[in-house]
Amino acid sequence: MPTVVLMDSSLSMTRPVSQEGSEEFQRKNLAVHGLTMLFEHMATNYKLEFTSLVAFSSLWELMVPFTRDYNTLQEALSNLEDYDKTCLESALHGVSNIVQQEWGSTCPCQVVLVTDGALGIGRGSLRHSLHTLKQRVEDKKFPLPFPFPAKMFIMCIANVEELQSTDAMDNLEQLIGLNGGEGQIFTMEGPLCLKSVQSMFGKLIDQAYTPFYAVLHCGNLASDVQVFPRPEPVLVDEEVDPIPKAVQTDLEIVGFIEIADISSPPVLSRHLVLPIAVNKEVDEVGAGTTEDAEEEPSANQMAGKSPNFCVLLHGSLKVEGMVALVQLGPEWYGMLYSQADSKKKSNLMMSLFEPGPEPLPWLGKISQLGPISDAAENPYGEDDSKSPFPLQPKNKRSYAQNVTVWIKANGLQTDVQKILRNARKLPEKTQTFYKELNRLRKAALAFGFWELLKGVAELLERECTLLPDSAHPDAAFQLSHAAQQLKLASTGDSQYSAFNHNITPLHTDFSGGGAGDRM
Amino acid sequence: IMMFSVSHKTAFVVDHCPYMAESSRQMVECDMLTKSRGQGVIPLAPVSKSLWTCAVECSMEYCRILYDVYPTRKLVHYIVSDSEFHSLNSWRQEDQSTQELMAALASVGPPNPREDPECCSVLHGLVAAVESLCAITQYQHEARRTLMDVADRVANRGRIICLTNAKSDTHVRMLEDCVSETIQEQNKLAAGSDRLMPIQRCELVLVHIYPQGDDTLVSDRSRKELSSVLSSEVHSVRAGRHLASKLNILVQQHFDLASTTITNIPMKSFLCVSVTLKEEQHANTSANYDVELLHHRDAHLEFIKSGDLHMAGSTSRDSGLKETVTLKWCTPRTNNVELHYCTGAYRISPVDVNSRPSSCLTNFLLNGRSVLLEQPRKSGSKVISHMLSSHGGEIFLHVLNSTRSTLEDPPSISEGCGGRVTDYRITDFGEFMRENRLTPFSEGVLDASGRTSSERAKAQLERHTRYWPMIISQTTIFNMQAVVPLANLIVKESLSEEDVLTCQKTVFNLVDMERKNDPLPISTVGSRGKGPKRDEQYRIMWNELETLVKAHVGSSERHQRVLECISACRSKPPEEEERKKRGRKREDKEDKAEKNGKDADEKAWPDSERLKGPQEREKEEQTESEMIKDSPDSPEPLNKKPRLMSEEIQPPQKSKGPVSLLTMWTNRITATSRKHEVFAGRLNSVNNKAELYQHLKEDNGMDLHENGKATR
Repeated sequence: MPTVVLMDSSLSMTRPVSQEGSEEFQRKNLAVHGLTMLFEHMATNYKLEFTSLVAFSSLWELMVPFTRDYNTLQEALSNLEDYDKTCLESALHGVSNIVQQEWGSTCPCQVVLVTDGALGIGRGSLRHSLHTLKQRVEDKKFPLPFPFPAKMFIMCIANVEELQSTDAMDNLEQLIGLNGGEGQIFTMEGPLCLKSVQSMFGKLIDQAYTPFYAVLHCGNLASDVQVFPRPEPVLVDEEVDPIPKAVQTDLEIVGFIEIADISSPPVLSRHLVLPIAVNKEVDEVGAGTTEDAEEEPSANQMAGKSPNFCVLLHGSLKVEGMVALVQLGPEWYGMLYSQADSKKKSNLMMSLFEPGPEPLPWLGKISQLGPISDAAENPYGEDDSKSPFPLQPKNKRSYAQNVTVWIKANGLQTDVQKILRNARKLPEKTQTFYKELNRLRKAALAFGFWELLKGVAELLERECTLLPDSAHPDAAFQLSHAAQQLKLASTGDSQYSAFNHNITPLHTDFSGGGAGDRM
Repeated sequence: IMMFSVSHKTAFVVDHCPYMAESSRQMVECDMLTKSRGQGVIPLAPVSKSLWTCAVECSMEYCRILYDVYPTRKLVHYIVSDSEFHSLNSWRQEDQSTQELMAALASVGPPNPREDPECCSVLHGLVAAVESLCAITQYQHEARRTLMDVADRVANRGRIICLTNAKSDTHVRMLEDCVSETIQEQNKLAAGSDRLMPIQRCELVLVHIYPQGDDTLVSDRSRKELSSVLSSEVHSVRAGRHLASKLNILVQQHFDLASTTITNIPMKSFLCVSVTLKEEQHANTSANYDVELLHHRDAHLEFIKSGDLHMAGSTSRDSGLKETVTLKWCTPRTNNVELHYCTGAYRISPVDVNSRPSSCLTNFLLNGRSVLLEQPRKSGSKVISHMLSSHGGEIFLHVLNSTRSTLEDPPSISEGCGGRVTDYRITDFGEFMRENRLTPFSEGVLDASGRTSSERAKAQLERHTRYWPMIISQTTIFNMQAVVPLANLIVKESLSEEDVLTCQKTVFNLVDMERKNDPLPISTVGSRGKGPKRDEQYRIMWNELETLVKAHVGSSERHQRVLECISACRSKPPEEEERKKRGRKREDKEDKAEKNGKDADEKAWPDSERLKGPQEREKEEQTESEMIKDSPDSPEPLNKKPRLMSEEIQPPQKSKGPVSLLTMWTNRITATSRKHEVFAGRLNSVNNKAELYQHLKEDNGMDLHENGKATR
């Protein structure tokens, strides 16, 4: 989940903080201090997160495009200059553009807005923006809600009392509201000082940047893992009681499925599953070797050398072309698979399915998937030549069952022509002729289109008269029989117009009728 | 997705009164072939559909699309009205198919023009439709049952689509009033009933159908709220083509559908190529066809959100109401199986299901091929945004992620924990995964202990992993072909007498091997010299085998018997007493491990830890001839078959008893392949690198090889 840091660089940020101590700080210094703390945290605990830095006043500027290089971000932060007044609306437009250009409009993002809560005056101020919300024309809409899913964290270098003394707090709350309630306002507690800014950013880190640790289980095999980006709770869109579902910290493999069988399923999100060394294990390994600490390999190297289930699983998934079905919580599943970034690098990935008992129609209910050893015979065949997947739905879809549609004239014309074409090849095409005839008959009866039945009967009678002398005698019999049956059906007489009744070929003494017929 | 929105229940009311038998005056020429057949043949007069036929076939088309896109949970109740109402199906899921409806329609037949028009009215059907909307569907019933105390929160909404021929706007008002009043009455009734639900919301869609060439007597009217429950809209449409496109637009609106047109389809890719080429020669048309598909509109979400809808090649069509997004066919290069990053999959329905391009496309997909679709962009850059693919006879439009990934350039798995270990049992675990593949079982199948199928799958994984060393050098028994029969059987939940016998035979076979002094594939990684002596090798092997079987003794009495067999048969080391002393601590550990067995994930390997611990063997001298050649000297064991390695080392001449054909053959192969002894350094190497002075630390009284637990 990429992060945009939106840093208020207006003049008001240079306001000094009244301090009893020796050093004098500007609010800006506090903001930089807090962000430094955030960047340091991310560089160590969340290093795969892409972050960009945007500075704004009445204009906005992309200082650092999305990067994982936190040194660059830090550097840009320390070189920030001071500009004029605050104009949040244009800056949010900027954020919207930057994110969409880089990640499209489906990738969820986090926006960290750092401001002193002086939100501008007059035109361009947040107050003005919010007042004119309803008077916007289509192309001048307020940038919130963003087209992409976004969480908005507002870090105020100010305390609540200060914000509430103006309408700043109200305006910021309204901003979160415009973002669909996704986000939070953080304020400083107590005097504005380094300590309180640290505590405020600490809360942000707890809220949005704590790594997600879990244990991946496959029976008794297990591995401690970090799941990145951390899976956010999913709101199950039920009419009654929408409950956010969170991925549980024990990820349990249920079994395995071939890639061809799981077949590019739709997923909510994708995550890296990174095996981690839990400290106690490293300690244990290191315990006996403390004496010659110089020669002791680092914890990381040690961890690299002790077998890890994730690596084994990844290797086998890759070689076998399979995925592991993994349970994320009650009635919530995902899949683990090997994903190659390039030829050399590959990784264990986890994709989350939509919560629910049956995320993929072609697998059926997950709770009904069991071990192959329970089946009377191996559903994959002894030589892996077959597969129990995909599941077949009870009813075929229209495109798989030769339905009759006569909405367009040529649909009807094609069906009549098929009958006539076969009529001319009687008796060889007897079976096809009657098959097409019955298809037309059924549809005509269902649509109440008796006129068509009479029309086709006439056509067949005419064909009968046009038969060449060389024609097989059976042809004439079959044509007049078919014509007569259609006419009877068109009377609506229940004896002849039953939907499930089929016109069958007339039994004649001319042997060989229909023998060479191919469907 | 709202569980029970208005689109959960759709009641079709189709007018079956005598006036519907009137001709639509849209003529269809059926006798097309006649033109090419010379003179003297009088072509058949064109036929025309009645208003009824037009109404029925368009409503069937509406249902066809609906059922293609939503096979479940979107229900239709089809009602026909003349002197009374005729219910052609019910809300039941089993009744939801066009074939069922077609059969029912056939039994109704066209309207009887001679019936007394005074007794006939569409009102009978409308009243029946309102009553029907109060009836509970099986889905509502299930929701109410699961919600129990808050059952009243299950919503009841629905839509009535009435296809009729109205006399005037006043007539339309009358129909609306009737529906409104009926809802009030029925809701009162439903309030006092357990088997009915009051209607909370009803959308009435009145479609007035009139013959071509006539002036309409009824005016169009957009949706209007008639009461807090009922809204109504009126569409005045000419029969035939116009009616068809109107209902097509309605089904899209009612069920949140959108349209995608697949363009640039090369007909040569299709199996129907011969027919097509012939037609092409006649028609002299281009080689590429377009096929329009309907699907849930979320498949276009990315376009809509980014405002790219127009850029993505969307064009207004027909009535101007309908838009379609054009995507370009990309000829599939190979049939290889790939896991695409797909963010959504939506069922499709072809707009023109019977047209040749459409059926060629759908048949191509139903035969198992997938097609990637490209989004045309102004810049000319190529972006694959969608994929068409069928699963079990259903075609889905997959949405592929086409933007930059936030997970790009991740650290490789080989850089992380366990990434430096090179002798994982990749092949064995692959085999394990195949054995633990899943298969669907029928609904509600529970075993004796009440477990669902997936719980049984997990239980099997648990059993199969009670003892499962992850790396080749951690195990002896899993590198031995001779152990396979027992290893495969012992993990089973229950054993047959025959299974026990097979296990015992395996044990006897091992005893025999020991008697003949056959070498074992003991890992020499990390140990000094040439590895343990032969009798020590067997001791290690027996210990490991016991560990495996002990992990399963709790399963049944027969499992217990296998363990007893091993204990009785296994070799007793010569200096048993001494070892007992050393082993006491370990034994304790084992017992503990057994007790904790199931939950001790990380602690699950005390025995294997012990087994791999080479320091126990290090003092013992080895002769060159006993060296074992199984050390993994390649860093990539992906394609290695450890089991073959154990076969490799079976000496060809030593076996005296009856020998299996396989053994004879492998012996032979081994004999020819064994040309030279492997250099000791390589044998003991890791990643082809032999560690120098590897015992330096041990000489200091420290040992790194057993998790820092010094054993001396």
